[in-house]
Amino acid sequence: MRAFVMMIAATAVTAGFWAASSSAQTAEGPFTDAQAKAGRAAYAANCGGCHQQNLSGSGDQVPLAGPTFMASWGRRPAKEFYDDIRANMPYGRAGSLDVATYQNITAFILSANGAKPGGKAFDGTSATLISAVANGQIPADIANPPRRASGGEEGGSTGRGPAMKLGHTLVGNIKEYRPITEEMLVHPDPNDWLIYRGNYQAWSHSGLSQINDGNVEQLQLKWSWAMNEGGQNSTGPTIHDGIMFLANTSNTVQALDAVTGELLWENRLGPVATRAYSALRSLAVFEDKVYINATDARLYALDAKTGKVVWQTDIAPPGRGFNETGGVIVAHGKVIVGLTLCRGQMPHCYISAYDARTGKRAWSFTTIADKGTPGGDTWGDVPNDMRAGGETWIAGTYDPELNITYWGTAQAKPWMQASRRSGTAATLYANSTLALDVDTGKLKWYFSHAPGETFDLDEVFERVLIDHGAQKTLMTIGKAGILWKLDRTTGKFLDARQTVFQNVYDGINKKTGELSYRPDVLKQRTNSWISACPSAAGGHDWPPTSYDQKNDLILIPLDQSCNLMLGHDVAQHTGSVNPEGEERVFFMPGTDGNMGRLAAYRTADMKPVWSFQQRSPFLTGVLSTDGNVAFVGDFDRVFRAVQTTTGKTLWTVRLPTTVQGNPVSFSVKGKQYVAITTGLGGGSPFSKPTSMLEEVHKPDHGHALYVFALPDKLN
Amino acid sequence: MRRHVFAMLAVLSAAPALADDYATRLTAVAYDGAMRANVQGDGHVTASLTGSKLTVQGDFSALPSPATGAKLYSGPGIGVPGPAMLDLELSGQNEGTFRGSVTLTAAQLAAFKRGHVYLQVNSQKAPEGNLWGWLLPAHPFAGPNVPVEGHGFIPQLDVPGNWTEK
Repeated sequence: MRAFVMMIAATAVTAGFWAASSSAQTAEGPFTDAQAKAGRAAYAANCGGCHQQNLSGSGDQVPLAGPTFMASWGRRPAKEFYDDIRANMPYGRAGSLDVATYQNITAFILSANGAKPGGKAFDGTSATLISAVANGQIPADIANPPRRASGGEEGGSTGRGPAMKLGHTLVGNIKEYRPITEEMLVHPDPNDWLIYRGNYQAWSHSGLSQINDGNVEQLQLKWSWAMNEGGQNSTGPTIHDGIMFLANTSNTVQALDAVTGELLWENRLGPVATRAYSALRSLAVFEDKVYINATDARLYALDAKTGKVVWQTDIAPPGRGFNETGGVIVAHGKVIVGLTLCRGQMPHCYISAYDARTGKRAWSFTTIADKGTPGGDTWGDVPNDMRAGGETWIAGTYDPELNITYWGTAQAKPWMQASRRSGTAATLYANSTLALDVDTGKLKWYFSHAPGETFDLDEVFERVLIDHGAQKTLMTIGKAGILWKLDRTTGKFLDARQTVFQNVYDGINKKTGELSYRPDVLKQRTNSWISACPSAAGGHDWPPTSYDQKNDLILIPLDQSCNLMLGHDVAQHTGSVNPEGEERVFFMPGTDGNMGRLAAYRTADMKPVWSFQQRSPFLTGVLSTDGNVAFVGDFDRVFRAVQTTTGKTLWTVRLPTTVQGNPVSFSVKGKQYVAITTGLGGGSPFSKPTSMLEEVHKPDHGHALYVFALPDKLN
Repeated sequence: MRRHVFAMLAVLSAAPALADDYATRLTAVAYDGAMRANVQGDGHVTASLTGSKLTVQGDFSALPSPATGAKLYSGPGIGVPGPAMLDLELSGQNEGTFRGSVTLTAAQLAAFKRGHVYLQVNSQKAPEGNLWGWLLPAHPFAGPNVPVEGHGFIPQLDVPGNWTEK
């Protein structure tokens, strides 16, 4: 799945080591009872939102108590765990707590693993091995913390999101709203930005050219808007007839005047963000409604004129940790949405579709194949309830002529083959392209990009639909950095091209697209480090590509880092299949420490046209326009315009914090605008440079929207 | 300065993929947050290959603890660690230089030409590795804000043995 919070890392451990030491501990821990109690409150405020109040972890936020924690840290001194969390945590604002707070949190986590407090305070220097004082047995009051009472106000105490009042906080009264038809979605007006990637084909391209390579250096800020803090801000606005719909973290939806920035309505649906992930990547609009998938796996339809909830429905059984961050699309009258955080439980992850007018579920397609079903034999002997992964955390695309929606899926869990115990089997339908009939959800075809994937290298990202004459193709690129071209009518493999250095695969069958693994990858064992380039940050990650049809160029933001990964040998249990991997990162060979790369490829023949590198990786998608300019933002706060055909930088502006999200362009009353968000919490593409680029400084807040345009009088 | 040397060498990439001269920057070995403080520093290595004789030299600086050794290693791939193959002559502590030469065996030569050989500096607080860098064939290098034509990264596609298209 998308990210790997490097909270937990360890030296090699031997299988069963922690288990052998899991008997009751008698030695006193290197901390006091007062520290552990203070640490519990500090943990709740700063860590529990992601790692959960009972330390069980959630998705890629690893467990901090129990067998997984002991497998990672049992043989390491308490000092190293303390050093690690000081260097990396809290996620997105590493090192922001005072020394005593980090010491107290360390004390609490040790106590949560069965360590007993002693008489000596933990000062960050203890060389005591964690396994000498802790056994991974979680005290009952920590394993089952009291639930918070529900109410109309949330946040503040459990994560990064500040306390806020929830509800329909500003009722709108938009008088003349032009309903959006299917025809408008199939052929979007370039003055609008109706679909999260600009069109159903995910081109992220604007047909506007008022801003072009001859005048882009004159761009000016027209207005800006502070957005909710907390959570992961990596969204992009939707615009129709000068009305901007904007998804904030904490599942807040706003309508703004796209010219003035005036708030027209606001609905804070909640829940408040309690983790540094859980992006709301996109909204969808159709007829007179705005659709949003909240991060608690609940789908809403809002009245576009007022913001009032028209209908709502659960995407997945509530209260079981399901989550959705990918956004929604509306196609042929159906709202289609994915699902994440399916942690080894039934149901598995699935894609589901709902009637856009009523919210009634039309169909679902399960992305994990069970025994006895097609593809079910591709998991070896793994029991059904231990088959995990296949999340869909990027919204799909749509071909109206074929009436097919295309989705990518995440890799299987645990990450490494050895931990997963699935061998090299394909683990369908993980890391695949799925082509589904929009009306029925029936699988038309699938393509397994990386059978048996083992390094958290998702192939889940955008499926870009490009026609080459009569040939209808689908292009996509995953974390391995391999740009794929498929026939989107049949799923037949057409071509592939490496876009960034990778060493996981050592060959490809040019007829079938089947990859072969580096031999030592196939010989992997648990509790043994093994190298992979790119790292779990990609290659390519969630910041999407852009396709410029006039120049036949696909512009790809790329990320350059490598890692060593170690897979645990820990038994999984129903309801909690964890990634079970540890990671050590390093700069990609041959890059001179440059983590960012922007590259352009001609799609007809897959030839590289240009690329450049820079120290910071890109944290936005790319927006190309008919003005021969493309916009992209990066980790080091730079938002830039490059010439599409050459890659030459034409304009830059420094924004207050990391530029993260999806740039869009629209026009109102003849004036073209470009909008982009800043944000934090962007998963691996954000956490890796946070760890590796120590010279890059940025505030740990600053979620906002910025809207640029040319001056009324050009120079 | 070191970066400029690297960039210049790389920009002169009209040279054949398997050039005689090799250079790279040394950066931190693979690390996690607990290790980070001990694997700081910077360095640079150049190498030349004449026939099967490999000559290596370089420097390092800003190590958090004194260097204890510099070695060549050979792994099963670019970016993949492997066993040591040569101890280099080392001078200095937190900053210093290293040099050495060796006549490569046929297997070592093949590994070297595939980019599988790397230089690693070890130190007192990071005895299993502080800095490392892979000795790669000259390749197109797309510098910051300087777009280059072509793929502009390690020519894995062009190095026989690293990538097979059937």
